[in-house]
Amino acid sequence: MKKTEKRTVALAAVFALTFGIAPAANAMHIMEGYLPVQYCVIWGILCIPFLAAGFFSIRRTMNEHRKTVILLAMSGAFIFVISSLKIPSVISGSCSHMTGTGLGALLFGPAAVSVLGIIVLLFQAMLLAHGGLTTLGANTFSMAIAGPFVSYGVFWLLKKCHVNRRVGIFLAAALGDLFTYCVTSFQLAICYPSEAGGIGASLIKFLGVFAPTQIPLAVIEGLITVAVMIGLEAYASPELKELRFIGEEK
Amino acid sequence: MIAIDKFCYASRLRYVNASEKFALAVITLLICIAGQSFVISAAVLAAMGVLTVRKGGLPFSRYGKMLLWPLGFLVLSTLAIAVNLSGTPLDLFAVPVGEWYITGSAAGAVRAARLIVTALAGVSCLYFLSLSTPMTDILTVLGYCRCPKLIIELMLLIYRFIFVLLDIASAITTAQNARLGNKDFRTAYHSFGQMASALLLRAFKKSNALYDAMEARCYDGAIRVLKEDYPPKAREIAAIAVFEFVLLILLAGRLTGWVM
Repeated sequence: MKKTEKRTVALAAVFALTFGIAPAANAMHIMEGYLPVQYCVIWGILCIPFLAAGFFSIRRTMNEHRKTVILLAMSGAFIFVISSLKIPSVISGSCSHMTGTGLGALLFGPAAVSVLGIIVLLFQAMLLAHGGLTTLGANTFSMAIAGPFVSYGVFWLLKKCHVNRRVGIFLAAALGDLFTYCVTSFQLAICYPSEAGGIGASLIKFLGVFAPTQIPLAVIEGLITVAVMIGLEAYASPELKELRFIGEEK
Repeated sequence: MIAIDKFCYASRLRYVNASEKFALAVITLLICIAGQSFVISAAVLAAMGVLTVRKGGLPFSRYGKMLLWPLGFLVLSTLAIAVNLSGTPLDLFAVPVGEWYITGSAAGAVRAARLIVTALAGVSCLYFLSLSTPMTDILTVLGYCRCPKLIIELMLLIYRFIFVLLDIASAITTAQNARLGNKDFRTAYHSFGQMASALLLRAFKKSNALYDAMEARCYDGAIRVLKEDYPPKAREIAAIAVFEFVLLILLAGRLTGWVM
């Protein structure tokens, strides 16, 4: 075998192994009924400032450019569709979905994504049974607020440091995803502390149990976000400018 | 297409007053997670199952399969709650691994079982709502609840666009499959990127065209549509009230300790 062939086989083997362990790697929505009432309320309240900021910024732009609301709606539908489609994985039959948090944050900015995110999560709960109504607050906090803010921050920081653009996009999406997974694990851990070791031990258990599905997913999400952004820059740079223009207006 | 949406339009409960269904689902859901009890969850699961399958007319096998959708999350996280890695063995079981034990306590196992039942009952409430009430009706109810107009409008548009974009995405994916665009990971990854960027581009074109069309029809920032109104029936309200009352008594029992 040639060197490149060997490398390809090794890479395929690594992917096959990770996906063999994880036949269904969905984004980590906390399911309906899984959180006690007080935590549902707390996470919901924590989301309110971000949602209010997003809402007011959208309303302000709305009054000046009425077209924005249609553009935003298309963007929301785009995030929903992208996250509901199967993404490629090596073993056929395994099924995984993107979260779309990183892509959304890079395209629309973190403020607009929080409002779009809660709507998309509500639709995911109602139409796909991913997540739920009572866990909407917790899921919004991890997927539509914490993840996008990290993605956006990482992207912005790496841009300032003049790191290669593709590397920046990859790291932004992958780290945003990993952060979402850590926040969700934390949300579960404080509700269900371990009998031996408390919240810390419980956090490690949740992180460990979801690691085989979430870490490969973060890598794939990073790769795909790069592919999408490259495609967009090649074919849709005027539209991207329009989006960025909206983002700055907010 | 989206299975839940399809079944929901076919449901026999579709023309029951939406506020009633919404109130039933949400209040039951809250009592269910506040109680975290075997009895309440079993009652909720049974009632919602009967409503969805018997009254709604959803095939039972489909309903059963749908309840299993969130199984991955349920199994993994319950495992994380019930099983501990500790230096000292707990009372239910303990498997020694070197210096440590993979171990669990009886109280932990009961708690985990309770959580599984509660989560399943919660999902059944969610399914009752989403398998009987179309999204547009739910938006009307949200409007009654004083949800901001802008958000409702945004949701209405997003709901519509989801189907437009899903159509485009499935057409592009079919075209890519026909050209061996998903034959291995490398091509699939490339294809997905291309599909997503083409999709956003199309979404832009569609939204521009739609805006022009709406502008031509005197769009001034509000979409006004006629609402179909199905008045609530006294019998249904009474049934819901009785059911919730029983659940509240059970909840009180759970909090004082005579219900499991």
